Amino acid sequence: MKIADIIKTLNGTLVAGGQSNRSVGAVVANDLMSDVLLNDSEDILLLTSLASDQAIRTANIVGAMCVVVHNDKPLPQTMCQVADSLGIPLVSSPLSKYDSCVRVWQFLEAEKNSL
Amino acid sequence: MQHKPTILTGGEERSDDQIIAAHNAKHPNNSSSGKSVSGTDESPLVVMELLQRLRVKDAMRSHNIISVVRTDSMRFAQNLMKRNNISGVPVLEDKRIFGIVSVNDIIKALEGGWIQDQVQKRMATNLVVLEEDMPLAFAIKHFQNYSFGRFPVLDKDRNFVGIVSQRDLTRVLMNELTKELVRLEGKAVKETESSARGDTALPYYSMRQFVVVHNDLQNAGKAANEIKRMMKDAGLDNKLVRRVAVAAYELEINVCIHSLGGSITFILDTDKATVIAKDRGPGIKDVEWACIDGTSTANDWIRSMGFGAGMGLANSKRVSDKFDIQSKIPTGTTVMCEFYLKGKKSE
Repeated sequence: MKIADIIKTLNGTLVAGGQSNRSVGAVVANDLMSDVLLNDSEDILLLTSLASDQAIRTANIVGAMCVVVHNDKPLPQTMCQVADSLGIPLVSSPLSKYDSCVRVWQFLEAEKNSL
Repeated sequence: MQHKPTILTGGEERSDDQIIAAHNAKHPNNSSSGKSVSGTDESPLVVMELLQRLRVKDAMRSHNIISVVRTDSMRFAQNLMKRNNISGVPVLEDKRIFGIVSVNDIIKALEGGWIQDQVQKRMATNLVVLEEDMPLAFAIKHFQNYSFGRFPVLDKDRNFVGIVSQRDLTRVLMNELTKELVRLEGKAVKETESSARGDTALPYYSMRQFVVVHNDLQNAGKAANEIKRMMKDAGLDNKLVRRVAVAAYELEINVCIHSLGGSITFILDTDKATVIAKDRGPGIKDVEWACIDGTSTANDWIRSMGFGAGMGLANSKRVSDKFDIQSKIPTGTTVMCEFYLKGKKSE
């Protein structure tokens, strides 16, 4: 699952951070950044409702490959600037976090079965 | 008449040499005049380190020294000083210094009517000199202790090799500090490729301090992200980089939301990385309780920003090889996390 797949699956829009060729290694759905920091996985897709600079900075600390913010929440300009400067793709989705989790799980399962 | 100057070097003070020796033993890859930057445990501040690393010979002027000989007249010395706009000249012959003629000596000669005398009769012979291998810190002490504007510099054979003024010290310190600032902006100086990286030690030392402002969540996390970038630039293992970044981030957020403000200091040494979070209060009442997962005093506003889950200290401890916390009410809390560049918890 790459950035283009995430955008398509979650009806999302790439808002900042640019494209990348990385694939999802793990999915973390959380609004508590300390919880996110606890995770040791690589290439994390971070699904969150936290529309703040800290979501991007936390993503950078754990080396996340993409951040998705849900419910079409308005994204602060500074959040987009931080995403651009750190090169972390930031996607805005109209879906709820729960719906996103379901769709991402379905995609990854289908991807696994097609191998 | 032969004048033999009394030379006071102050060389009996050993403390600077001892500091340099300890420093060199700790960082054998860094020569005292090399480009690599290193520090001591006693004084990790960049300026202190520079004052110990730089030598008098790095600051002194050794060319185009204006001087007189013993048989020149005081009038000749006066004209020489006037023509060159200087306030003193050394009396030199064959690399040997016999004395100094200053503006004060000229004024006395004019008042006393001996301006036509040879300088050897009227020069100052009770000289205070510096040696070329002394640390710059020593030279600064000399300028503080004596009212002279310059000092002659001798080599180990007591030959005159140059002269150093306060202006020379300022010039060399400004140059070196500029280089340091460039390096501290995240560009850790690496040794040349020929001095290849050893198995257990990285060939550089780097230190940086970040200010953390109370409740400034807009900027919180910048220090940790910068620390991560510095470590990646240094070519360190990704897992280690992540552990250090996690600790730095948690501590930075803690200082931001729980304290009155403070700092994050990051030190990258040859064998370990250290993150120190220090705040100005109010201190933690029960440190043991604060280190337990899930315990928090955060308010709703902090929680709405994604923090305050009470895992900051526990997380920092989890990823560190060595963790220490000291807290005192109301003066503040200091947390130190160490990470060994080779070894424990690198999984």
